[in-house]
Amino acid sequence: MNARKHLPHYAMVLPFAALFATFFLYPIASGFYYSFHSWNGANPAVYVGLANYQSVVSSRDFTRAMSNLMLYIAITVPLGISVAFGLALLVDSFRGFWSNFFRSAFFLPVILPAFLAATIWRWMYAPNFGLVNMILGWFDLPSVNFLNDTGTMLYALIAVDIWVSAGFNMVILLAGLKGIPRDLYEAARLDGASKLQQIRYITIPMLAPVLFFVVTYGFISALQVFDVPWLLTGSSFTAYGGRRGALLFPVMDMMGRAFGAVRFGEAAAYGFILTLIIILFTAAMFGLRALRARK
Amino acid sequence: MVTEHTAHNADQIIWRVLKWVLALCIAVVAVFPIWWMINVVFSEPGVPVSINPRLYPTSLSSGLSKIHMILTETDYLRAYWITIAYALLTILGVLFIGSMAAFEFALFDFPGKRLIFGLVMLSLMVPSVVTIIPTYLLVAEMGWLNTMQGLVVPGIASAFGLFMLIQFMRSLPMEMIEAARLDGASHFRIYWHIALPLSKNAMVTLAILTFMKTWGNFTWPLIVAPKPDVFTVGQVVGLFNAPFSHQTVDVVMTANLLAALPPLIFFLIFQRKIVEGIAMSGSKG
Repeated sequence: MNARKHLPHYAMVLPFAALFATFFLYPIASGFYYSFHSWNGANPAVYVGLANYQSVVSSRDFTRAMSNLMLYIAITVPLGISVAFGLALLVDSFRGFWSNFFRSAFFLPVILPAFLAATIWRWMYAPNFGLVNMILGWFDLPSVNFLNDTGTMLYALIAVDIWVSAGFNMVILLAGLKGIPRDLYEAARLDGASKLQQIRYITIPMLAPVLFFVVTYGFISALQVFDVPWLLTGSSFTAYGGRRGALLFPVMDMMGRAFGAVRFGEAAAYGFILTLIIILFTAAMFGLRALRARK
Repeated sequence: MVTEHTAHNADQIIWRVLKWVLALCIAVVAVFPIWWMINVVFSEPGVPVSINPRLYPTSLSSGLSKIHMILTETDYLRAYWITIAYALLTILGVLFIGSMAAFEFALFDFPGKRLIFGLVMLSLMVPSVVTIIPTYLLVAEMGWLNTMQGLVVPGIASAFGLFMLIQFMRSLPMEMIEAARLDGASHFRIYWHIALPLSKNAMVTLAILTFMKTWGNFTWPLIVAPKPDVFTVGQVVGLFNAPFSHQTVDVVMTANLLAALPPLIFFLIFQRKIVEGIAMSGSKG
């Protein structure tokens, strides 16, 4: 009787639940299974225990991808969020038309698909005739082969990355700024607080939850960086990562193992290793926040 | 007193000038690469733009002929239709299937609701790297590689979309729904004739965000539709841009510009909704 009463509810949820189970829950379970098997997609899978995890972690490409990633994250997350925060403050300091105008202008790169940003910048970075080198030439600086010089490749990527994503974080931070009551600033101003003090003692603490989200989300997406370095360095399953693997990142390495080397078990194990890292980091972030809140 | 006042004013003026200069400079940096792309496309043939960058396009006809060339002599147009179909079908699926589930999750109680809802919300935190390879293997096993359903179906059960619609539908007027039920309307009719029309705003926002996301999706089509017949715009752009494609910069940028047009047009029309949708995904995530 009860089941009958709930039947219409289940009928409405069923399509979503079925798709969710098929294309999310099942893949996670099967991925876990494959991660313990050696499988090339054709021959029967052979159980190999932890060998896939071992061969991922002990490979040179993994070490290289991870060290690239750490450096990339260490620069791109704080820098990207500082830039976005600065943009949000700047837009917020304008009123009416100009506020909207600058918000739209700063936001414009976000609406381009990342693959387009990568291809535009790839040409702007071109050696000798590229736009960036031409601008360097105005200042009598030597021409740089940005995407082939191991000293500049990572920074070239980070520049594209910040160009693409700063506007996204800006919009989220702007929404947070709008939620801060104006009279707090009013009171601080009457007490003689400078603009910088107002930012330090009102804006940042009031914005803490939003900043927390932006940092966590920024880290999680940085860990999964793929399209832009993939397209900047070669865009095929046999050529990627750039010169001496200076732009090799974990997801690229994982994709290469799956579709270049056709070792699906190893690629599945790779995915779980990356997920573990993301979970550990996120837990650490939440732990840190709880610790600070208790103080 | 008076001098202090003027000093304060002078400070303010300096601050305001700095602010404007800074904002304008950043706006140029943000917009210029896109503007540069347009300039490269609409430049006179044979004039390498990067060596002599102009601040404005010089030849409308040259740009149009490049666009014409790309649309007629390459597979670009087919990729365009495939990507539009991919985006539209995904939007329809996300909206229809997501809104049905959101309707139940937001307004009703039934055994198992908490469990399903919890699992879906948990999935928001699971990075896509862990599912992408096994989902590909599943799709391959089903024989869906290089098909439209292979592109579309795995993306329909969007946890983010569900979450967004639930947030919105929670505020739907329960009295109206009760009144309709007393009038003998069936469950599905209440959803279709009351909940859906009232949720139009959230649905439009979700549709736009889903469009931007599918149009810009590079990774999934790359692995699930590797055959040139089913290439999406992203893959064709990648092809044009491949290191050994031997295309000149203006041809590549024309291909890029064509790929950029739909999102640019969407942005011009739906600016507010896009920004609100992103702001919401951030502040509530």
